Amino acid sequence: MITVKNLSRHYQMGPTIVKALDDVSFTIEGGEFVAIVGPSGSGKSTLMNILGCLDSPTLGSYVLAGEEVSHLKPNQLAEIRNRRIGFVFQSFNLLPRETALENVELPLIYQGVPLKERKKIALAMLERVGLEGREKHIPSELSGGQRQRVAIARALAASPSILLADEPTGALDTKTGVEIMELFHALHKEGSTIILVTHDPGIARQAERVIQIQDGRILKDLPSKEWAA
Amino acid sequence: MKAGALVENIRMSVRSIASNKVRSFLTALGVMIGTGAVIAMLALGAGAQKSVEGSLQALGSNLLIVYSGQPRGGALIRRSTTNIIPTITDADIEAIRRLIPNLITSLAPESSANGQAKFGSTNVNVTIVGTGVDYPLIRNVRPVTGSFFTPADLDGKKTVVVLGAQVYQDLFQNAGDPLGQKVRLNGLSYRVIGVLERKGNSTTDSSVFVPITTYKRYVSGADKYALVNVQAASVEVMREAQSAIEKELLRLHRLPTMDSADFYIANQLDLLNTLQGVAGTFTLLLGGIAAISLIVGGIGIMNIMLVSVTERTREIGIRMALGAKTGDIIAQFMTEAIILSVGGGLIGIGIGYGTSWAFSKFGGIASEVNLLAVILSFGFSVLIGLFFGGYPAYHASRLDPIQALRYE
Repeated sequence: MITVKNLSRHYQMGPTIVKALDDVSFTIEGGEFVAIVGPSGSGKSTLMNILGCLDSPTLGSYVLAGEEVSHLKPNQLAEIRNRRIGFVFQSFNLLPRETALENVELPLIYQGVPLKERKKIALAMLERVGLEGREKHIPSELSGGQRQRVAIARALAASPSILLADEPTGALDTKTGVEIMELFHALHKEGSTIILVTHDPGIARQAERVIQIQDGRILKDLPSKEWAA
Repeated sequence: MKAGALVENIRMSVRSIASNKVRSFLTALGVMIGTGAVIAMLALGAGAQKSVEGSLQALGSNLLIVYSGQPRGGALIRRSTTNIIPTITDADIEAIRRLIPNLITSLAPESSANGQAKFGSTNVNVTIVGTGVDYPLIRNVRPVTGSFFTPADLDGKKTVVVLGAQVYQDLFQNAGDPLGQKVRLNGLSYRVIGVLERKGNSTTDSSVFVPITTYKRYVSGADKYALVNVQAASVEVMREAQSAIEKELLRLHRLPTMDSADFYIANQLDLLNTLQGVAGTFTLLLGGIAAISLIVGGIGIMNIMLVSVTERTREIGIRMALGAKTGDIIAQFMTEAIILSVGGGLIGIGIGYGTSWAFSKFGGIASEVNLLAVILSFGFSVLIGLFFGGYPAYHASRLDPIQALRYE
């Protein structure tokens, strides 16, 4: 599903070049549940931005679902994000004035899916995350857990190749965080490919495989049981 | 962009506009006032132009007036001729008359003096005008009662009189049949044969008209005329007729050029052009000032759209992350700007009509809403939305999605 080879991302900071990512290579198969861990400043956010096609690497190749995406232009990247990536953010990132249903419809709008079909898909997705009956609510009328469920429904709506979750439980209380992780496990069992970016080893441990980043390089890439040990 | 996306954009824009009603209203207010002002000002200008044309038409058509005296700057038509020293002779009249029918159709000499008209115990100050039978035709004034005098009245030097509307009202208090009544002018009794329609200008309405021959015998002994009213054969030959008359009169008066002439010719065309020019400048000035306010309104839209883009940076980031392309973001903000300016423009048209109506109704100022002005100013307001919405929309589309998502 994802093949990353010799990936580097450099930033020019005054006279010096900062290597946020330095020669990173790995492969993620379809249906895997992978956690990317590392402290802040380790380069995991940079990696997530590149995997999410929000940013392009300075060097190296990134093949997503058989397509080389490392040198695409902004509008082409937008299209890849739209079709291939389902984002779940720490702070939900829902549009505050739109209802839950309309938020879930958003990626489908940019895909040009007709209104009726869009509504049908969005309703099914809300049902899938356990929010039936809440479709008319705007985000401020929903609890944190419910908002994250809306965000997950939105991420699922365009049937993406990967779900890319950035600290999805970071803004939730423990109990709600557990519920959201249960939802990710359920989605994984149904066959979704999930990449979860976190700094929390307890969350990372729940994935099948852990890629640990430090100073822009891969420190460990192990099945979670071995990593935890 | 897909057709469905346009509907989507409009829906999103309407929601965004509705979510901040006061701000949206204030944003559109500039365009409303601008559009309204352009329409109202152009309506005023068109009204002024029309009333200028109307009052000139009332003077008569294809009118040339040969005045006695030195040419004066502007050569505006002066109806009051009582203080002119006459210089136009019978020979001049005959020379002008020879220009019929190619250059002119008719002429009527005219002299006038102040006098008193008395009927019963009522008396009023009037201008006694002596003229020819073609006067009503040339000066576009018709008797409403009776008739103007005939060639027979002229030849017989009859003591008959046609009253101006105001004179009739003052003498007869608009009551009773004036025809056949005797009115005394400077002591001599005249038979009333007609009353002229009201022209709205006091000089015609407060004059009384007698045959020029009668005038020369009883009112003023001078054998020269103050002026000659001439009707040119058509608009096209007005200039030609004017120069032909100038040439004839210069020859008869033994003068080398118009610079030293003891007469001058007022041409209705010149007057029309001058007044139309004035009205046109007036329209341009008013319209220009109004157009500036429309542009200021556009800048208001740009200002608010820029604020809106900044406020919604995170929303833009979310949309970009979910797959919105540059064009989608531009279209969204442009749609919003255009809805604001078009909405403002439509309300502005209403304001323009209302203002123009109020000018006419309460201000007594002629104004006429011109459909072209409506289309023009509305189109202009749409362009303003496109132009001033363009920069904020472009600015929004250039945001980096990573930065935008992080924006608090």
